[in-house]
Amino acid sequence: MRGTLTIAWKDFKSLVNSPLFFFLAGACCAIWSLNFLNLLGDFAQRQMFGAESSIHFTVFLSHLSTVNIILLFAIPALTMKLLAEEKKMRTYDLLLTAPITATDIVMGKFLAGYGAALLLLTISFLYPLATSLVSDFHFGPLLTSYFGLSLLLAIYVSVGLFSSSLTQSVMFSVILGVIFILGLWFMSQGINVSDNPTVQTLMQHISLGEQFSGFIRGSLRVSSVVFFVSTAVLFVFLTQRVVESSRWR
Amino acid sequence: MIEVQSLSKNYGDRPAVKNISFKVNKGEVVGFLGPNGAGKTTTMKIITGFMAPSQGEVRVAGFDVFENPLEVKSRIGYLPETPPVYGDMSVEDYLFFVARLRKVPGPQVATYVRDAIDKTNLGDVRKRMIQNLSKGFRQRVGLAQALVSKPEVLILDEPTVGLDPRQMAEIRQLIRQLRGHHTIVLSTHILPEVEASCQRVIIINQGQIVAEDSIEGLLRAQSASRRVDLRVKRPTAQLEAELKGLNGVLRVAAEANPGQYQLEIDNRDETVEQIAHRVVGGNMGLLQLHVQAMGLEDLFIHLVTSEHGGAQ
Ligand SMILES: Nc1ncnc2c1ncn2[C@@H]1O[C@H](COP(=O)(O)OP(=O)(O)O)[C@@H](O)[C@H]1O
Ligand SMILES: [Mg+2]
Repeated sequence: MRGTLTIAWKDFKSLVNSPLFFFLAGACCAIWSLNFLNLLGDFAQRQMFGAESSIHFTVFLSHLSTVNIILLFAIPALTMKLLAEEKKMRTYDLLLTAPITATDIVMGKFLAGYGAALLLLTISFLYPLATSLVSDFHFGPLLTSYFGLSLLLAIYVSVGLFSSSLTQSVMFSVILGVIFILGLWFMSQGINVSDNPTVQTLMQHISLGEQFSGFIRGSLRVSSVVFFVSTAVLFVFLTQRVVESSRWR
Repeated sequence: MIEVQSLSKNYGDRPAVKNISFKVNKGEVVGFLGPNGAGKTTTMKIITGFMAPSQGEVRVAGFDVFENPLEVKSRIGYLPETPPVYGDMSVEDYLFFVARLRKVPGPQVATYVRDAIDKTNLGDVRKRMIQNLSKGFRQRVGLAQALVSKPEVLILDEPTVGLDPRQMAEIRQLIRQLRGHHTIVLSTHILPEVEASCQRVIIINQGQIVAEDSIEGLLRAQSASRRVDLRVKRPTAQLEAELKGLNGVLRVAAEANPGQYQLEIDNRDETVEQIAHRVVGGNMGLLQLHVQAMGLEDLFIHLVTSEHGGAQ
């Protein structure tokens, strides 16, 4: 446990102090600001013409979708170094010969990456939060959406970490990470390949989009939470197996 | 303290270490000597629990590396071939990190880090980023990292490789100061390192132990023979065979220069006398006859070249 926290804290600090993090945070800010102002402008115009619409399903939903798309690429870039760099710089030797377990190492790395990812998510939350100063709306669906997004990020981080454990090259790690995450998103496309209703239901259940839509509508489904958490745990577990198995080569 | 039993390691189907066994007692400083590719790093990685062996077992302080890896790892400080340092950390932050990673109790961490910095003379650069340090300093940070948790055992893999002579001397001095506080195993492919730092030496070649003794013991065993450098002006074709035939001459090697030979002989004066007699009597023009005791260098070359069909 102490090993986990030691690694988590050290890696979190070096992650958020890295030029890469500043670059990512800056890029996120720029894109989200432009996008959000645009959305808000459109919304205000429609309101002026008397159209009745909810700010949540227009402005916030679009914002969330942009946030998700950007983070989908940013998170693997954030996590790329976590294990790949240790292997390349031979600091892996230090971790693997310290009196800690592979689980300590992987959990520490996960927490560091997740912490940094949540910082980026917090930045994106500032936009709707600022809107609340000038407009009245129900916070409920916004909060469940962000809760859902934070679970989604746990998946992105664990998948990114897993990709990082497979290679010494950070470039390859990012590419793998993005491919895996896109794979998870598009897995539900398989829905059409079979007419079998059980297969269709199954595909619906393992689809990120399907599970995520509940959070956006403002409902907290236990099954969705369980699905997200267990997917993240699965990839952390796979990473742990990869780290553990490095001894046997 | 360290017991290695019938240890083997194959990379794929290529053997790197073949069935080696040795023991290191508490407080000893043991040199692990062998040419590049002999299997030193592989053996050390197995002892530290970084890698699993293909066969055999390793015990440290009575704990099996694979049944109780955490017990073993908490007793070992390890300096790999490349110092495992993070360039983006300061020396001090890095040592704090390693101390915590190695389970130094919270309240003692600061003291342990200070001691490690003092022992390795890193006081002046404690706040500097590691990536801005010279290779010699980086190696010292690597050493500080290995001893920051005050482990019973230190495993140092080629601690002076790639350093300039002055930095080398500094690191050797440091290692000598650590004697008595830790059980130390250090690997090297250069002989002076062993003579400078170790009490006992294990010579390994092509994955096998070819000799194991105290340095005095090895020299004593070697003093049964001596080396002779011989140079004559007009060598005859059969001189080499004649020298070989002399009583007490163990080995004759003709050197590239015509007329120059290197001989290994026993330590009787009569043998030298006979050689001189043969050369002078044959009117070959004796230019040089130099007799000297065999050093460790000769022994090392002898062991790694003759017994196992030549090293790379
Ligand atoms: N990861 C590896 N994969 C394949 N072969 C290796 C690996 N590491 C070392 N070897 C081989 O094993 C042998 C022993 O290597 P090593 O233990 O590094 O020797 P040393 O440290 O004595 O120079 C060498 O022939 C080397 O090429
Ligand atoms: Mg080596």
